[in-house]
Parts: sequence; structure tokens; C-alpha cells
Amino acid sequence: MSTEMNPRTNTDPRALVDEVVAELPGWLPAQRWFGGKDRPVTGVRALRTTVLSEADPVLVHLVVEVSQPDRREPYQLLVSDTVDNHDATGDPELAGRLLDLLADGATVDGLAFEHEPDVELNKGLRARPITAEQSNTSLVFGSQYILKLFRKLTLGENPDLVLQRALHRVGCDHIARPLGSITGRLNGEVTTVGMLQQFLPDAVDGWAMATTSVRDLMAEGDLHADEVGGDFAGEAQRLGQAVATVHADLERALGTQHADADDIDKTVRAMTARLDSVVAAVPELRPYVPALREAFEAARDTPGAIAIQHIHGDLHLGQVLRTVHGWLLIDFEGEPGAPIAERTALRSPLRDVAGMLRSFDYAAHQLLVGQPEDHQLAVRALEWSRRNRAAFTEGYAEAAASSVGDPRERGYLLRAFELDKAVYEVSYEHANRPEWLTVPLSSIARITGEGKR
Amino acid sequence: MAEDPRPDAALTGLEGVPHTGEAIGADGLLVEPQAEDFRSARLAPREPGWFKGAVFYEVLVRAFTDSNGDGTGDLRGLASRLDYLEWLGVDCLWLPPFYASPLRDGGYDISDFRSVLPEFGTVEDFVYLLDEAHRRGIRVITDLVLNHTSDAHPWFQQSRSDPDGPYGDYYVWSDDDSKYPDARIIFVDTETSNWTYDPVRGQFFWHRFFSHQPDLNYENPDVQEAMLDTLRFWLDLGIDGFRLDAVPYLFEQEGTNCENLPRTHDFLKRCRKVVDDEYPGRVLLAEANQWPSDVVEYFGNAEVGGDECHMAFHFPLMPRIFMAVRRESRFPISEILAQTPQIPDGCQWGIFLRNHDELTLEMVTDEERDYMYAEYAKDPRMKANIGIRRRLAPLLENDRNQQELFTAMLLSLPGSPVLYYGDEIGMGDNIWLGDRDAVRTPMQWTPDRNAGFSSCDPGRIYLPVIMDPVYGYQGLNVEAQLNNQSSLLNWTRRMIEVRKQHHAFAEGDFTDLGGSNPSVLAYRRRWCRPDGQEDIVVCVNNLSRFPQPVELDLSEHIGSRPVELTGGVRFPTVGELPYLLTLPGHGFYWFQLAEVGDEGEAR
Repeated sequence: MSTEMNPRTNTDPRALVDEVVAELPGWLPAQRWFGGKDRPVTGVRALRTTVLSEADPVLVHLVVEVSQPDRREPYQLLVSDTVDNHDATGDPELAGRLLDLLADGATVDGLAFEHEPDVELNKGLRARPITAEQSNTSLVFGSQYILKLFRKLTLGENPDLVLQRALHRVGCDHIARPLGSITGRLNGEVTTVGMLQQFLPDAVDGWAMATTSVRDLMAEGDLHADEVGGDFAGEAQRLGQAVATVHADLERALGTQHADADDIDKTVRAMTARLDSVVAAVPELRPYVPALREAFEAARDTPGAIAIQHIHGDLHLGQVLRTVHGWLLIDFEGEPGAPIAERTALRSPLRDVAGMLRSFDYAAHQLLVGQPEDHQLAVRALEWSRRNRAAFTEGYAEAAASSVGDPRERGYLLRAFELDKAVYEVSYEHANRPEWLTVPLSSIARITGEGKR
Repeated sequence: MAEDPRPDAALTGLEGVPHTGEAIGADGLLVEPQAEDFRSARLAPREPGWFKGAVFYEVLVRAFTDSNGDGTGDLRGLASRLDYLEWLGVDCLWLPPFYASPLRDGGYDISDFRSVLPEFGTVEDFVYLLDEAHRRGIRVITDLVLNHTSDAHPWFQQSRSDPDGPYGDYYVWSDDDSKYPDARIIFVDTETSNWTYDPVRGQFFWHRFFSHQPDLNYENPDVQEAMLDTLRFWLDLGIDGFRLDAVPYLFEQEGTNCENLPRTHDFLKRCRKVVDDEYPGRVLLAEANQWPSDVVEYFGNAEVGGDECHMAFHFPLMPRIFMAVRRESRFPISEILAQTPQIPDGCQWGIFLRNHDELTLEMVTDEERDYMYAEYAKDPRMKANIGIRRRLAPLLENDRNQQELFTAMLLSLPGSPVLYYGDEIGMGDNIWLGDRDAVRTPMQWTPDRNAGFSSCDPGRIYLPVIMDPVYGYQGLNVEAQLNNQSSLLNWTRRMIEVRKQHHAFAEGDFTDLGGSNPSVLAYRRRWCRPDGQEDIVVCVNNLSRFPQPVELDLSEHIGSRPVELTGGVRFPTVGELPYLLTLPGHGFYWFQLAEVGDEGEAR
């Protein structure tokens, strides 16, 4: 899109939409949140146009359908005639209007801005986009609220909103309070396009916390992980308690089921199928295939009933926040890129535990990636990972609901989930960050080499 | 052995100076010295709320300066150093007890509330110190132990020997040791019970601390009056207030843990009323080693701005500061401040890094306590009771950057800072000395004999001066640091000066600014001046030993310009984006947020 030299204020909204739609094929692939960078954009058409402001300046909420070979997906945009590239999410005042609409509980042309019951919102705050966001755009209003605009839209209610509302209903302490939502009809379905939550200015994400600790350990020549000032085990344990508490609250709010033999069989086959497809692309994985298959099959032998329920679905250290009141979980959207049916399916909470265990491994090893091999540092990284994984699991076991129990008592299952996640990471790193491939591969080597627990 | 009938028999060294129990009146009451018997000091300038912005300095009379060459510091010696303290910027001295005492508990075992420990001098010497201090605008408060006396106190001697006399009911006596079983034993290392049998009276007496420190019986109205008169005695001489020692334990009640009882608060309200009615402007500071949400009770009723103590120590903050720097994480500090309730308008916290007692670990969880031990006390000799005997500099391995960071936090976190003597020059400790003496060695003034503390024969000194190669007085002393502009002493003085230029440090409200980096603690202090203008100070502390960036959300202050307070350097204006700062390892910044426009044009 062109950069406007002179802001215009008399554009007709329809003309603006036409202009934007025409420019999108060139502009979209450069956007961080655009999920279709692997293929060319062959066409863009407007699905839904909501004029939020007719003039001075024009502000339009726009849903477009992006066509690519074998794929057509809806994306959300907020556009104006007065800003660079027409993207109004970067303009504090224009984007601030979304908050005012939410506060008013307004409905504009079928697009409903609603605040949660018993919530009163302050108006007139300026919006600031958060730059770290990957697949969505989040706006912070005056350090009080955060509005997540889902860029690629999924038909129906977004699981992020559904789960966090349910958690709030049962009084869960480990989430940021949901405050409002923006919904509209898309292909006849009520679809979540935005979600407003309490913003926590004092929060730090778990990845930053953990890597601070790892950095501290790596800087010490002779001290062990339990001797350094930056020891993270206490935090990891409290984090484990928080995750277990959220699982228990999700169970309380939305119930639990038992996986039957068919579910288990499907799960094992899915893990094996993923392995087959990944190993075809990544030959480095080949030596571990027999052990991996064995580990996946062993998941069938888990004694007792396996509880399945709603879970976070994509839990890692970047999805948790440390605040002065403890740990919070965010982004209950499930694994981005996975089909919606998979994202909302009931699964074992041990999936989340496995995801977090993997994340501890990543945090421990991230400083080593791309560096010449250093045995001392590799030993330290492993030590950190072991200590904090154990502390996390301990904390989880302390607070786990009886339906889930101590994850260590389901070692086969947890191990299978962790290896499945690692296989996924192998494929991801192979495609995106080849330097990092050693992290999941070395974990797979270690876990399979350690034998069955 | 025949018992000496004189009630002052157990007092030592007070021959020839006025003291309690020199005689007994016809009514059986002990004759006690009165304030009118002495000259009073001039009063400090009338300034309500002075304590909210004051910099306190804890100084041990014994350790500061010896005026008469007997090897022990004294009141006249301390008075001779007031120019130094005024230069440093100290507003108020806190003196641990200097009363007559057998010194079995560092002077907290008071044997006469109305006389001075002879080796420190006399009441007249104290009045001289007070007068000289007030002349320089420095106030003086001292410890007063309300809960108990020494067993050498004439009151106790009368109580044990004459159960039916006027003092018979001054202490908590019982025929057996079975009452109040729910009260914990505080000195678990030395005491096995809160009751001790007295063979003279043939009964047990109650004591929450050592068995030579019987608890006063506050059920007895005469005891309450006697202690209020003790307050009046020193207030009449001109003292500026008291640190009330061990306040939670005044009353006992069956079925409770005998701490923080309502009647204890009622008595504190009486003390406060005496101060407010008869001695306005003087302060009461509570020593209650409790969690902040419990300590706030000692400020009293918030609706009237507080009607018990004006100040209380914030105990849990200090170990959290140490832990935060070791963990390189702001959360230990942020958490404890988030858990600290609002205090009444007329009140203030006292905060400290070190004092004459150990690093207090009572208030941290077991897990944290184990951690603190592991970090700070690698040598088992450094542990004592529940605590660690180290000075600030050795605790921080003599790292200048950390000493500055810690001091900067002390001077900028909410509360009035209390410095511990010697820490302004980075003095060391001597862990080979027993009990708590490691941190009570003589102040190091000069490289001369006895560090300029005393002219006595070095063998006569009360504790040896520090002589090790790192902290020894030959190199580390006030004189050397005065002559060195970059010394810790000159730096500390400068920071105190800066602190005083901004009342936001004293009474400003506190907001944790959070931020993206867990190793950086940033907070804002905002004070609305009487003229309606705001004084806003932002403090940013890097708790890590590595350089760190931080992005601060200053969106409330878009358009303001941070001006660094020690050098006046103007930083870039706050814009729409998060404010980016980079800090060196253990670095910190203090900024004032100034409105843009009130700066000179560049030429």
C-alpha cells in the first residue's frame, strides 16, 4: 500500500474499502500476523464491511477473504483513510474508539461490542499496540485493558473467550479477567473477532523469567542449579500449582469425561502418523523412530481411566505471566494453525503438562543454540531443565484435581505426549529454524535413551 | 546469705548519681528521680509530621566515640560527632537503650528507667547531647522497653521481697507455671519456658524474653501509670520520641497466644494520647516484628489518621530486598509491597537494610529462610538464633555497585530510611566476636590509634576495631572518605541530599511500574504539593549483575521529560511508545518527571 503524504479526510468509506482490498495482495504477506506466507495471495474480497465512522476520519471494520491456492481464509482489518498503510490499529486515537464502543455496548451494523455483565469500562483511553504479538494484534488501553483482535478468524465463538469466561465464572484466580468481546456474523455464524481483558502492567512472561534464571546459571562457572541466586525452582513449583488449579477449574466449569479405548487408539495413531510424516522430511529423526513408536504404543498401557477435558492446548512458558499475585495463564486459543475441531476437542490435561515440560527444555537450551559446543554449559542446561521440570511437576501434583492426579503416576502417557510434542517441534524447527533442531532432537535422544519410567 | 534490704542493691555503678530506689517514702513507694531535678534541653523546632521525611541513623552510644578514654563510647563522645552527622544529612538519631542495665541483653534489660548506664555518662550528659543535637536540627529518639524490666530493677526487687507492698503486683506472678500455654517461646535457644521460679517470693514469674527479664503486669493500673510517667520523664527532658520495643506482648490472656491483644492496643492509645496532649510533635515508633497486615494495627484507627504509633518498622521488606537482588528478580520486593496495606495519613513506615540485630528471617517462609541461609551464611558462624550477623558491605561482598543500589532503594522505597552507623562508609564486621557483637565494633574515624574512636590503651577497648586487610580502619575510615570525592561516604551524603530535595520520596504515593524485564524494579513516587503542583519521581533499579534494557509504560506522562536527579541530565521526552532505558549491571536511575517547556532554550 502507498504511504499517504497528505492525510485525506473526505474519502468515501466504500472507496476506501475498494482501495484497501486492491492493495492487500501486496501488503498482507509482509504482515507478521498473516498466516499464509507459504503461498501467493491470489485474491482478496470484502466479506463484511462495518463503517464505524463515516468521515473525519473514516474508520472501517473490515473482514476480507484471502484466497490462496487450496485455501480461503477470513482476516480482520481496521482501516482508515488518515493513517499510513490504512492500518488503524497503530493509531492511538482511532483504535481507542473500539474501547468506547465496548464501553457503550454499541452494535454497529451487526457488529456487537459488548462488555461482560457487571463490568463498567473507562472510556477515552488511548490505544497502544503490543509489538511482540505473533498471530493477532493486541491493543493496550491506558495500562488498564487489553483488546486482542483475532486476525485470522475462525467461525464460531473463539475458544479463548469461551474458556476464560467459564474460568471467570468459577472464580479462577489464574487468568486475567475477561471484560468484553466483539462479535459479528460471518457466513451466518456468530464469530468472535475481539476479546477485551484486564491488562496487567506488572506482568512478565514466563519465558523471560525462566531465561533470566538460565542466564544467571550459565554465568556461574562452578555453582550448580540449586546453588545460584537465580534459582527458578520455587517459581516453577508455583507455576505447576497454577496450571493444575486452572485445569481443576476448567473441569469444575465445563466437566470431564473418560477417554475410551477408541479415543486412546486414535490418539496413539495420530502420534504415530505425525511421526511418519515428520521423519519423511527430517532424516535426523530416523534413529529414534523405533523408540518413539514404542513410547507411543506404551501410552495404551496407562492404568486406570484417563480423564479428558477442556485444556489450554498450547501451553508453554510464553503463555504464562508472572504478576505480583502469582502466575496467570493466557491465550486459551489452542495450537495456532490446528483446525478448530482439534483446538476445542477434549484432551488429557497431561498434554499441557507435557507442553510446559518441553518449554523448560527450550528455556534451558536457548543460550546454547548456534554456539560452539560447550560440554560444561550443556551439562548446566540439563541440570537446570531437570531441576525445574521436577519442581513444576511437583507443584502440579500438589494442586491437581483427583481426576487428573499426580502426572508422575502416568509416566508412560506423559512421556508419550512429551515425545509427540518434541516430534512436532522437530518438524517446526526443520521448516523454520534449522539451528534449533538440536533442541528437540537432543531431548528425544535423552528421553528415549532414559528408558521407560 | 543475708538479703540486702535496700531496693537499689542490685543496681551497680549508680552511687552518687540520682537513681530509683535510693530511699523509700512513708507510703512504701520508691523515691525516683524527677525531670525537674535536671536541666531540660532546648526543643527541636515544632514541625508536625517531621518523621515522614526524616533520615534516621541508628547509632550505638558504646560504638561511636569515647570521650573519656575508658574504652567505651559515651554520650559526650556522641555529642562531639554531631557535626559529622549534620553534614551527612541525618535528621534523627535512634539510640538503642542507654539506661542503667546489667547488660545481659544489650541494655534492653533496663534496671532503672530514670538513670543512664554509668559508662555512657549521666542524665545531664544525655540532656547535653539532646541540646547540641537540637541546635543542629537533629532529633533524638531512643528505645524504651515497655514489656519488661531487668530483674535488677528496684521494682522487681520490691515485688519479690514484699508481695503485699505497693510493687507486689507489678509483675505477673503465679503459683505454678501452667498459665498461658499457647504463648510461644521467643528465645528458643536459651529459654525452655515463659515461667521461671523465684525462690525469694516462692512463685513463678512470667517472661516472654529472657528469664532475667520479668514482664511487667499491665493489668495493674499502677504499672500503666508508672510507665506513662517514664515516658513523661524523658519527654520533659526534651527527647523527640521512643522506639517502643516488643510492643505486641504487653498483656496476657488465657486461650490466646498473648500477642497483639486488644488491651495492648488500648494501652498504646493511652501512650499516644499523652504524647498528643502533652508533647505534640514527638513520635512513637513500634517495633513489632510481624507481617505488614498485622503491623498496621499498631498505627491505630485510620479514620483519625492513626491513634497509636506514628511509625512502625517494615520488617519483611529488608530480607526481600536481599533476596530480589540474589534472584535478579523484582518479584520478592514487588510482592511484599503489594501485600503492604495502606497506612493512616499521619503515619509512616521505617525501613532499613541492616540494624544492630540480625537480618530478620522470622517473617519469611521456611523455604525462603533456608534460601537466605544458603546464600548469606556459608560460614555457620554467621548464623545466630534466627538471623545472620553481617554488615551490609560484607553481605554484598564489598561490591560498591551493590552497596549503592541497596542504598538507593533504601532511600527511595516508601518509608523513612534508617541507616545503621558505619554502613555509610562500608564498614566490615568481625564474625569471630560472640553473639551480636560482630556488627557492633567501634566506628572507624581515622587511621590513628583505635581508629580515632578512643584514646585508650587498645587492650581496654570494649570490642577490637576491625583490622582485616579489606575493612580495616587504616584504610577504611571517615577521614579518608571525607577526602575522597568518589567515596561511598560522599556518595551517600549526596543521595541523602537529593532525596531531601524531593518530598515525593518522603510522602509520595507508590506505584510499581512493572515492566517487561523481571530483573528491573521500577516504581513511581508521586506527591501532590500543597500548591497543587505534582512532584513525580521515577526510580529504576537493575537487580541483575548484567546490563539490562527495560521498557516502561509511562503513557500517563506522555510529553514529560525525565530529568536524572543526581546530574540533572535531561533524558528524551516520554512519547507514545513504552519508554526504553538501559541500565548497567546493578545500576539505578532516579528521575524527576518534568513538564516539557520549563527548560531553557539551547543556545
